[in-house]
Amino acid sequence: MAAPLALQLAVAGLSVGSAAAITGIGLVVCHRATGVLNLAQGAVAMATAFALRQCVVVWHWPRALAVACCVLLLAPGLGFLMDVLVFRRLQRRRAGTAETLVAGLGVFVLLVGAATLLWGTTPYPDAPVVVPATPLGTPDGLLITLDTAVELGLVLLLAAAVGALSRWTAFGTALRAVVDNRRLAELSGIDADAVASTGWAFGAFTAGLTGVLLAPALRLDPYGLPLLVMETLAVAVAAGLRSLPLAIGTALLLGIGQSELTMLHPSGAAQPLLQAVSSGLFVVALLAVALLPGRLAAGLSALPPAPTLSATTAATVTATATSAARTRQIGRRWAAALLLLVPLALRGGDVRSLLPGPGLALILLSIVVVTGYGGQISLGQAGYAGLGALLTGALAGGTIPGLPALPAPAALLLATAVAAPCGLLVGWPAIRRRGLALALTTFAVGTAMSRFVFQQPSLTSGLRLDRTGAWADDRLFYGVELALIAAALLAVHALCRGATGRALGAMRDHEPAAYASGVDVPRLKLLAFTAGAALAALGGGLLGLGAQAFDPNAFDPVLGLLWFAAAVGLGADSASAAVLGAMVLTVLDASTTAGVSAAAIGLLALVRGRLVHGRRAGTGGSTAPVPPEQPPLPVRLSPFGERLVQRLKGVPE
Amino acid sequence: MSPSPSPRPNPSPSPAPRLSARALVRRFGGVTALDQVSLDLPPGRITALTGHNGAGKSTLFRCLSGADRPDSGQVLLDGRDITRLPEYTRARLGLARTFQQIAVFPGLSVADNLRVGAEQAGRRGRLEADFAVARTLRLLGLDHLADRHASGLPTGTLRLVELGRALSAEPGVLLLDEPAAGLDRAESEQLAVLLTALAADGLAVLLVEHDRELVDRIADRVLTMSAGRILPAVSTSAASTPAPAPSDGAADDA
Repeated sequence: MAAPLALQLAVAGLSVGSAAAITGIGLVVCHRATGVLNLAQGAVAMATAFALRQCVVVWHWPRALAVACCVLLLAPGLGFLMDVLVFRRLQRRRAGTAETLVAGLGVFVLLVGAATLLWGTTPYPDAPVVVPATPLGTPDGLLITLDTAVELGLVLLLAAAVGALSRWTAFGTALRAVVDNRRLAELSGIDADAVASTGWAFGAFTAGLTGVLLAPALRLDPYGLPLLVMETLAVAVAAGLRSLPLAIGTALLLGIGQSELTMLHPSGAAQPLLQAVSSGLFVVALLAVALLPGRLAAGLSALPPAPTLSATTAATVTATATSAARTRQIGRRWAAALLLLVPLALRGGDVRSLLPGPGLALILLSIVVVTGYGGQISLGQAGYAGLGALLTGALAGGTIPGLPALPAPAALLLATAVAAPCGLLVGWPAIRRRGLALALTTFAVGTAMSRFVFQQPSLTSGLRLDRTGAWADDRLFYGVELALIAAALLAVHALCRGATGRALGAMRDHEPAAYASGVDVPRLKLLAFTAGAALAALGGGLLGLGAQAFDPNAFDPVLGLLWFAAAVGLGADSASAAVLGAMVLTVLDASTTAGVSAAAIGLLALVRGRLVHGRRAGTGGSTAPVPPEQPPLPVRLSPFGERLVQRLKGVPE
Repeated sequence: MSPSPSPRPNPSPSPAPRLSARALVRRFGGVTALDQVSLDLPPGRITALTGHNGAGKSTLFRCLSGADRPDSGQVLLDGRDITRLPEYTRARLGLARTFQQIAVFPGLSVADNLRVGAEQAGRRGRLEADFAVARTLRLLGLDHLADRHASGLPTGTLRLVELGRALSAEPGVLLLDEPAAGLDRAESEQLAVLLTALAADGLAVLLVEHDRELVDRIADRVLTMSAGRILPAVSTSAASTPAPAPSDGAADDA
């Protein structure tokens, strides 16, 4: 007798649910021990899965030995290294959320880049199976397999071990003390570094475990698995990054729910939607916890009000204080302009390989506007870029009901105009969110766009991105790209100078003080996100037209993370650095093997985080006044003011 | 601010208050942080607010500035009900505040810090803002630091920069949250002289301050809060306290 389908599906869903639960446990424990939400979790999972495949498939190691080496040595080792090389420094000087977040993304991008370098981007279908799906028995006709039983057992075992450890051992007490007040804990003789290292190692161990458990069900490539694990962030966030039972419960429920949804077969338009939701239930959950007021808003926004990225970026939108900074800026501008012009002198095939440059530059520029100028973390710009490409294709292909097929230039501009208000999708939530909460929200929105829009065949069929007429010529199209990027730079310059630029800087540097100074912060945030969406959409549209096709993978959310790391690593608040960086990355992509650019970005984000801080500390130490660059205004105080100044000068020192 | 071109308030014995609170109530869960608090800030006076930690000073301060909303009651600025207005609108109407923890914009130059205050308060014209900034820089003795980044300046200077940001908006009411915290004696002295003079020029000042010596010296009125209420006045006017600095004509006007 067969068990009811619903029950069978529930058991099947337990497998994915367990994997998510293991990652959830790791994220929660690591956050408890270090106060950092490990965004590199997915990349560690991917690296471990690749390493296991290398050991088993290429080097023919015994499976058990390989699993032990990868999960028990390599993954925790990676976590330990991340702590020692990256996060320990940040925590010692109490770096803000934004800084640790960028560091986590740096590690993420570095690992993705390294994996791409080592193993390429072609997916491997042969990731070794760790626990075979041997049938264990069929109580009441319900098929139970070994892998499900082992995974569920691992979840319970880990949860029990962590629970016991934190409740009944001295280590657990130390852990709670370090989380509460690191400095005080150290004064009490607790080795806070050891506690943090243990947290990182354990988090990475769970990531590795998740990776090797999930990999056989997927085709292993450097982007897919990290994204899948990033989506399970939903589980940890739903648990407020604190409660293990809640994280495990959410993970299992989502796994089961995802499985149960496959039972429904609605007809018509609901069918593809349901399929998308059932395959992306974790994304739906991430979107829900990110957008709904409640846990995320309460738990994560309440982090210490560390001013946003201004802490890591030294220069300013409106004023460059030193002549050295000004020289650097002029140098960057010339270099960017030169690099942009070089392709015009190249042969046809070379021009084509550099066509993505200006599009990418526009996307990085959008991050400069939103994050560098406005101080709002946005990990979802890839979503807007994809939207730009998709809308351009749809408008040019005439797939939007009631609209005729437009010529490509008109389609591109209209797509940009339509995508801009979509920036409000993250702009509204951003009004009340900061730091980590905002990062997760923007990432969730970007991922949802990718999952539920770009990867839906019904929405991406009939797109037309081929260039006809004058635009068919690569060199001429590149000229058009140059004109557009020049226009965009001018628009950004006009927007971000003067009073608006200063207000943006004020919002970025200290939001409460900006409010108190009369800055309309909500309106300014909406403006920043709208402008960012328009720039990214224009860039995405150009990327699509350059490639003459819509490729959802070109706007993968993982690429969005990579672009964010690049823009921040290059100096989040410099438009010329963004353009320069985009061209260098395009040249790297065109001339070297895949992965070099990603690895370079990862290193840049990690190194830059430290360098900038050093330079900042340097400027802070000097008290020598800088001579004013303009003669002071001939100010005349009122007689009262003059008397007051005299009186203040007369104050005894 | 002091050299303000705005009409000087009438220094009558009981001038109309610039900022008033009417029966403010604010509860957090079961705790009543503000219990029917009423308060008037007349122009030309420094009103000090003291009390133990948890007495409700900060909540009152936040409700006045707009960072928090009272559950009931009204906040009036020059007779206009601003209870429902957001903080930035109140700032544009002439209500300036500083923060207990120094709040400057480290990525902007000192002059631009002040300029944000001037511009947002409605001085959109470039020249107008330039003059407001230059005047405030001069007043606070920050001219030589105008083009320096605000990051890395010493604490006392940063307090002045923050005060300058508030003053360059040429506000009618100034709310100060422990402005002397972290200042050395000379800087504190300078602050006292400055505040006294600004008040003499018609500014309504509310001072939340723990430094009792400073409060006694410059405050015209000391209100003490306890358990969410303002206690009946026990402190006398600072008129009995000798003025700290040689008074001159302008100060005597008030």
